[in-house]
Amino acid sequence: VEPYNMGNFDNDPTSLYSVKGIVILDQDGNRVIGKYFDHAAFGTTKEQKAFEKSMFQKTSRNSSAEILLLDGVTCIYRSNVDLYMYVLGSSRENELILESVLNCLYDAISTVLRKNVEKKALVDAMDTCILILDEICDEGIIMETDPQAVVQRCALKGDEVMFSDQ
Amino acid sequence: KGKAAMKRDKKDEEASGNIYANLDKTSVLQEARAFNETPINARKCSLILTKLLYIISQGEQIGRTEATEAFFAVTKLWQSKDANLRRLVYIVVKDLSTISDDVIIVTSSLTKDMTGREDIYRPAAIRALCRITDTGMLQTIERYMKQAIVDRNGAVASAALVSSTHLMKKSAEVVRRWANEVQESVSSDNHMVQYHALGLLYHIRVNDRLAVNKLVQKFSKNSLKSPYAICYLIRIAARLLEEDDQADSAIFTFIESCLRHKSEMVVYEAASAIVSLPNITASELSPAITVLQLFCSSPKAALRFAAVRTLNKVSIKHPNSVMSCNVDLEKLISDSNRSIATLAITTLLKTGRECTVEK
Repeated sequence: VEPYNMGNFDNDPTSLYSVKGIVILDQDGNRVIGKYFDHAAFGTTKEQKAFEKSMFQKTSRNSSAEILLLDGVTCIYRSNVDLYMYVLGSSRENELILESVLNCLYDAISTVLRKNVEKKALVDAMDTCILILDEICDEGIIMETDPQAVVQRCALKGDEVMFSDQ
Repeated sequence: KGKAAMKRDKKDEEASGNIYANLDKTSVLQEARAFNETPINARKCSLILTKLLYIISQGEQIGRTEATEAFFAVTKLWQSKDANLRRLVYIVVKDLSTISDDVIIVTSSLTKDMTGREDIYRPAAIRALCRITDTGMLQTIERYMKQAIVDRNGAVASAALVSSTHLMKKSAEVVRRWANEVQESVSSDNHMVQYHALGLLYHIRVNDRLAVNKLVQKFSKNSLKSPYAICYLIRIAARLLEEDDQADSAIFTFIESCLRHKSEMVVYEAASAIVSLPNITASELSPAITVLQLFCSSPKAALRFAAVRTLNKVSIKHPNSVMSCNVDLEKLISDSNRSIATLAITTLLKTGRECTVEK
């Protein structure tokens, strides 16, 4: 199967393709949900899992460190209770842009889970979390970084999210 | 962790109601047959689609026959008006588009949703439609794409612009014809639309040096509001300077002026662009280094990391210019972030005296 995405993630500074993946792991380092866009760097599930394992080892011990360069991939992360959220970016990408993507992911999920950012709540809202990931990034191009816009676009049933809760 | 413990974990997960914990591909694909039932049970079908998306996101491989069968079952779900279900359908269409046969059968359904009245459907429908479209079919939706690019709804415009960027890879000739609409979108008030439009406009013009020059001159005059778009303009400007030593000095002035922007993202982008320019003088470097030095003591790890990584790069070519940051770099040696500490040490090895590093 020819991978759809042939974007240049690393070498061309004017490429719009800059997010290699978005991954959420649990406290054992298992993938709760995730999406990879750079098929050259993360072509197989085996490669993805190996990277996740190594990334989890380095980040779970020091979860306040926020950023890590691993095998040429910039990994920005945030954790809460039993969830670890990662945005994997091209090493040429502006770290603050990648950070704004992570903050959007975290805040959008936090809004949907009514601030209960933990695995059980995320699993219960799996469909909405899949939609959130889809609204934030399209094949590696950053789509939206405003969490309110993302949540509003996720076709929620009227009463599910109240912005006044925030 | 022992096998017994793993088993216990799985049981725990089941007990706590994690229905995704032990999903099996075959049974999920079998459940997808429920899509053929009428009337459609939206809740039940949404859950099955979520399970399908979940196993795909876990990296489960689905064969072409299985995928095609699931894809055809999914097409039945268009009969339901449930918004959540429809949104999940678009994602499944995208995910199965590369592994299923005859995906073009959903073209008319997606075109209808893309041009329909439901704003919640339009952006996602555009993205799914462009994923399954080939050059020949693109001509038939060209009119709708041009309209979507200039749509007042930011989500619609961004979806059309980003999808067009993907399409540049297979149908560049067609997308180039949309340059006027794309240019119009650069003036959008929506920050992401402005960024996506500028990115696509650059890729449409990339082979025309004069046009790129004009583009940078036009948008560098304070007309962009989106920090993302400004960062992108800095990248195009830096590329022009890299490729041409006779380039207009106004281009450098523009990048330098961005060092005083109110957004840290833009300031960092400008500093990082300046220090990477070839043939840069020490005095031209100095304001950029000052900015990076300030960022070294930021409470934000991402900013300290960005600053020290960039200083590390500069120190290879211009160690003397980075020496002014030695005190700040020494403080970073004990940073709680290991990557930052390591970068600080390797930078100091190039700029500092050995005794300062040994501490």
